[in-house]
Amino acid sequence: MKRKLSGGNAAFLAPMYLFTVVFLIGPFVYMLVLSFLTRAETWGVVNSFTLRNYRRILEPLYFNTFVESVKLAVLVTALVAALGYPFGYYMAKLPPKRRGTMLMLVMIPFYTSSLMRLYGWIIVLRANGLLDKLLMALHITSAPLKILYTYPAVAVGMVYALLPFMMLSVYSSVEKMDWALVEAARDMGATPARAFLTVTLPLTMPGLMTGVILTFVPSMGLFFVADILGGNKIVLVGSLIQEQLMKVHDQPFAAALSVIMMLMMTVMIWLYRRVTGSGEMEGVI
Amino acid sequence: MKKRSFFPSFYLILITVIMYLPILFVMIYSVNLSKLSSVWTGFSLKWYRDLFRDRNVGTALVNSLILGGVSSLAAAVIGTLGAIGTARTSFRGKGAMEYIATLPMMTPEIILGMIFLAFFSLLGLPFGMSTLIISHTAFCIPYVFMQVKARLAGMDKSYEEAARDLGAGRARVFFDITLPLIMPGIVSGMLLSFAMSFDDVVISIFVTGVSVNTLPILIYTQLKTGVTPKVNALCTLMFLATLLIVVLSALIGRLGNKKKA
Amino acid sequence: MKKTLSLILVLTLCLTLFAGCGGSGKAESTAPAEDTQSAPAPDPSGGTLNIYTWAEMFDQDVLDGFEAETGIKINYTNFDYDETMLEKLEAAKGGDYDLVIADDYIIETVIAEGLAQKLDKSKIPNFGNINPVYQGQFYDPTDEYTVPYGAGVQTIAYDPAAVSVPVTGYADLWDESFRDSIAITANFRVMLGMALKVLGYSYNTNDLAQIDEAAELFYKLADNIRLIKDDNVQDDLISGEVSAAVMYTSQVTMAKLNKPELEVVYPKEGIGFGIMGMFVPSQAPNADAAHLFIDYILRPEISAKSFEYLGYYCTTKAADDLISEEFKDFLVLPAEFKAEDMEMIGNISPEAAAREEEIWIEFRNRCGQ
Repeated sequence: MKRKLSGGNAAFLAPMYLFTVVFLIGPFVYMLVLSFLTRAETWGVVNSFTLRNYRRILEPLYFNTFVESVKLAVLVTALVAALGYPFGYYMAKLPPKRRGTMLMLVMIPFYTSSLMRLYGWIIVLRANGLLDKLLMALHITSAPLKILYTYPAVAVGMVYALLPFMMLSVYSSVEKMDWALVEAARDMGATPARAFLTVTLPLTMPGLMTGVILTFVPSMGLFFVADILGGNKIVLVGSLIQEQLMKVHDQPFAAALSVIMMLMMTVMIWLYRRVTGSGEMEGVI
Repeated sequence: MKKRSFFPSFYLILITVIMYLPILFVMIYSVNLSKLSSVWTGFSLKWYRDLFRDRNVGTALVNSLILGGVSSLAAAVIGTLGAIGTARTSFRGKGAMEYIATLPMMTPEIILGMIFLAFFSLLGLPFGMSTLIISHTAFCIPYVFMQVKARLAGMDKSYEEAARDLGAGRARVFFDITLPLIMPGIVSGMLLSFAMSFDDVVISIFVTGVSVNTLPILIYTQLKTGVTPKVNALCTLMFLATLLIVVLSALIGRLGNKKKA
Repeated sequence: MKKTLSLILVLTLCLTLFAGCGGSGKAESTAPAEDTQSAPAPDPSGGTLNIYTWAEMFDQDVLDGFEAETGIKINYTNFDYDETMLEKLEAAKGGDYDLVIADDYIIETVIAEGLAQKLDKSKIPNFGNINPVYQGQFYDPTDEYTVPYGAGVQTIAYDPAAVSVPVTGYADLWDESFRDSIAITANFRVMLGMALKVLGYSYNTNDLAQIDEAAELFYKLADNIRLIKDDNVQDDLISGEVSAAVMYTSQVTMAKLNKPELEVVYPKEGIGFGIMGMFVPSQAPNADAAHLFIDYILRPEISAKSFEYLGYYCTTKAADDLISEEFKDFLVLPAEFKAEDMEMIGNISPEAAAREEEIWIEFRNRCGQ
């Protein structure tokens, strides 16, 4: 089915390629170059080539931060997939009239400032806050949990922030699915679970994949959630980069950290694609 | 079968309610007399009064709406066309271009802001709404691109071919067949893009100019004083406005459907 | 469903367009601001004043008063961190903005980079109103470039009902009874500085051996840390999430106003304090307006109103007497306060800064365990 580049198809690709060439290649080359330079004594950079920035990342302190960030990102992505897939799936099975409204209802909270929503979570999770009161009223716990400013609080905040990416991706994939195939499987005697695993899941894989990537990638950078809900005690790569720029004034090292972070994401996405084996998704980073 | 159909609705409602939980508290504390969220000193509309006195907020809100609207629309056009073009062709170098187009999503915001600042000032572009729109479009494209691409994946090509066999022109096929089929993907991508743009602060601070403040910039830069409940009041009003739009359009849609029937 | 969706889209677009129309009028009126860079002769009795600082730094009445008096339109835009401001100022080559308010240490760099201009004091008759305590500091030793606008110290505040040991200084925070119940700010220079001070060293030491020695002590504090954050710490202190907190002046002000029984301690080891300064960028398009504004702010009654709004120490001596009783205790330096005991946090060598950042990451990791 794939064709060589023809005039008509070139017209489709032109805007994106033009935008990429004009506005993206330059900045990213700049970043790459920056990562090999040396910081100046007080401010800015001096043009002397060095590999020091990359060597420094191998130090245990930085290396471990990368490992911790990936661990958290994987955990968050798994939770988001577990919660978001069923949501997108059920949403797509709603009567058509209600879907659009539901879609908007899902998105509305995300048009409110993320900082304010995090403050909202602080109020919910804080000692003797809503969650504590609820759990104690139900006699599940007897004392405040002190969940705020801990790892679980960070996970809650990140899952919350990234859930819509999964819901929407799965939704648009399930919505176009041909239900006749599932019915056929059921008619041939497959149990609902089996029909889901052998028919529905593979058919909605592109949506799930997109959701996973759209969750995993930002979760590496959402350090402000970790800072606000985790009380700054969980150090993520994003916050390393931020501090190198804003506190230590070492731009080249920050650039090197970013380059490695992006490379790592690329590799992980590539691996993920290989493992889940969806050839159709070629080109999706 | 009947018994199990209860669960989906329950699940949808439960998750939706949880998503609105933090907003509820944002709203509650917008009518708190105290500046702090840890003490409740009584009901007051003081913060709403302060909000309407602050001229910066109105301008920033307008700027943010323009910025979010234009960049999510631009990203929708560029990303959708790109996804369709990509799905239809294969040639050397295609992968590399797509990879670069999706890089902004993987780049830490603060670095993206910094390199855009350096690049724009190298080009001599005047900082302001134009630079904001360029950079926001850049980080919104991947969201639309990926949503549409997932939608296109494995799509039945027979519709397009049938239409063409029946003599429809290229443009006709695109607008009558392809576009409606991928619409849910475009809409999801746009909704996400608008949310991302409407909430971005780090990149915006770097690429904005002397005369353009956006809403998130106004909120996140209250570092020296702590965020005031004025922002709660603002978020409450915006939330209610969005809710109103959605409910109204749902009602209008329903009325329209009834008339048809 | 498609119908609903397209309706929503149309409505949203209409709203955006509507906003666009409403906004374009405004954009027109502010458009000249972007071109002011090339306009050489600014008119002090009109035009625009581009102020660049954090949000919420002024009472709206103060800004409105200036506009009404001078006919100059204030254009107020914001940055988050001092470093962002410096990046923007570098990109604008010292132009675009007329007046910047930022933290002391960054002003030192701004001046060194040649991005600030000397103030014309003949245009600031109220210059003498400044409290001399805040003048002649490291970032501008001869007061040629800056006028202070607010100062803060990082003090310890605690809830006496939840604390069992007497607190007189930083050293007490290491006490075991504070386990998992202290909040500190996210400024690693000041936080590691506590350990340096307990050991009797300077905040601004470049001696890596001293820094490493302080690090060992600092790590021992990790078990006591419940929370590290810069904003709204007063809420955590009031709600009982933490029992003691190292926090900024404006936060102490808010906390005490809402819970008077809190105790505030000026640590006996001495405290680091910070000053925010106003300066005029080297190529400011409308420097005259900036001078007018600085002079306006230095009027005693305007200063008093501004600092009551801001919640930082009043840096205008002449305004001290005008500050209302409600705020007096928080905004005016206590008489017994010895300026000699204070050490400001200045810039340190790149090696020392990098080392302190590494210690900070390690410290946070230990707090999280």
